[in-house]
Amino acid sequence: MHNLGFALDGAWQVLLAGLALGAGLPILFALGIRSLAWGAGEAAVGVNGVTAGRRRPIGTAAGYALFGIVVLGVLLGLAFIVSTGFGYKLSFEHIYPTFIAK
Amino acid sequence: MILALVVVTALAFDFTNGFHDTANAMATSIATKALRPKTAVALSGILNLVGAFLSVEVALTVTNAVVKIQDKTGAPKAELLADGGNALLLIILAGLVGGIVWNLLTWLLGLPSSSSHALFGGLVGATVAGLGWAGVNWNGDGSKLDGVVGKVMLPALISPLIAGLVAAVGTWVIFKITAGVAERFTRNGFRWGQIGSASLVSLAHGTNDAQKTMGVITLALIASGHWSDLENIPFWVKISAALAIALGTYLGGWRIIRTLGKGLTDINPPQGTAAQSGAAAVILASSHLGFALSTTHVATGSVLGSGIGRPGAKVRWAVAARMVAAWMITFPAAALIGGAMWWVGDTVGGTAGALVVFVLLCIASVAMYLRSRTGRVDHDNVNDDWDGETTVTTTPAGPIPAVAAN
Repeated sequence: MHNLGFALDGAWQVLLAGLALGAGLPILFALGIRSLAWGAGEAAVGVNGVTAGRRRPIGTAAGYALFGIVVLGVLLGLAFIVSTGFGYKLSFEHIYPTFIAK
Repeated sequence: MILALVVVTALAFDFTNGFHDTANAMATSIATKALRPKTAVALSGILNLVGAFLSVEVALTVTNAVVKIQDKTGAPKAELLADGGNALLLIILAGLVGGIVWNLLTWLLGLPSSSSHALFGGLVGATVAGLGWAGVNWNGDGSKLDGVVGKVMLPALISPLIAGLVAAVGTWVIFKITAGVAERFTRNGFRWGQIGSASLVSLAHGTNDAQKTMGVITLALIASGHWSDLENIPFWVKISAALAIALGTYLGGWRIIRTLGKGLTDINPPQGTAAQSGAAAVILASSHLGFALSTTHVATGSVLGSGIGRPGAKVRWAVAARMVAAWMITFPAAALIGGAMWWVGDTVGGTAGALVVFVLLCIASVAMYLRSRTGRVDHDNVNDDWDGETTVTTTPAGPIPAVAAN
């Protein structure tokens, strides 16, 4: 039953990575959207019709910053696919990703 | 002659692999209308093509996971090469036919089953028929996750659970975060989220799955003495396999897209983003860790998970159960067909035997294609309401041996 051991061993790593990237990045993305919406201000409907809310530049900036992080994460994923294909390995030895030949 | 049949059949398998798996990447984007159906399959097809070329890594040893017809370097076992490699070629041919027939049958029923399981099942069946039970790599050698148990059964049980959990968590949190945010922000934002994550899945699919066909074709070339380099794959093999999978993807398995996008649960954009990113992350992480899993199982698991995670969403468990049943029988059913095909080919014998197997494949394929014309599903009605069931008539599963013996 060594296979079961290997499988469970791999499974929790995949689960952790999946939660971090697969749930983490979209959550950041959602925060970015929320932040953008907050930055645009709330529109109010009154007797004079619809008045646009006050803009909050910080919210807009934070929103785009969050999107930036998500894009970086996606690029990392892409780099991973491409490097594996060309016989390189993505290494996190130096914390920031580097390519090393396999 | 037999070699030509094997190459054509392998490309045909690659093609069915493409259109069977379009749904994995694009079903959610199509269902939420983030992309128009035609645009979605075109994008996915192109990314599969690109992905196939990115996989420079040699995939020669792909069959080693489940059967013992090659040694560790990828060279075919010497005892199978006695008569110009025909023994080996017949096993590969029968195995491929098993995979294709099962892929087509599940497509006809609109069931997202795993193409790799179908291929592995077919190969195992043909090997058991040709070499006996000892020819199958059941449990690996104990040094790593390997064999039918390690590469097929365990991942099939575990990966949908992992993907489902990731997508459920993602969906749940996203809905908490974006509750009350104006729709003009969420709609556009999550549209791009979906397109991005679906593209990643398509690319990863191209790199993983086209490789398998390239490996099988090259193995056949080596067995028949037309290629000897164990480090490289002939360029024409790479191009044709990449084109076959891209073309298949572009054609789009609309029936399966419909099941995955509309049948399991009703998907909205935030949910689609969560499901697809969960799938992309799990696929990439597991291939990084050498944990072989099926794109199909991951994608379906994450769509289900996103249905569970979204407050108030309804999951159609009857559809899910039908799908899980299809997963369970994919491997043995493809094995049965593969075994039967080997038996037919061996009984007739020689080139004629391979030809008979090929003709049987053509008959079965045409029959299933004609069957699909009644109650067709294409890019026009792929998004129709599931519960209406006006345009789609699903047929009950026919007895499998009947198809194999067609």
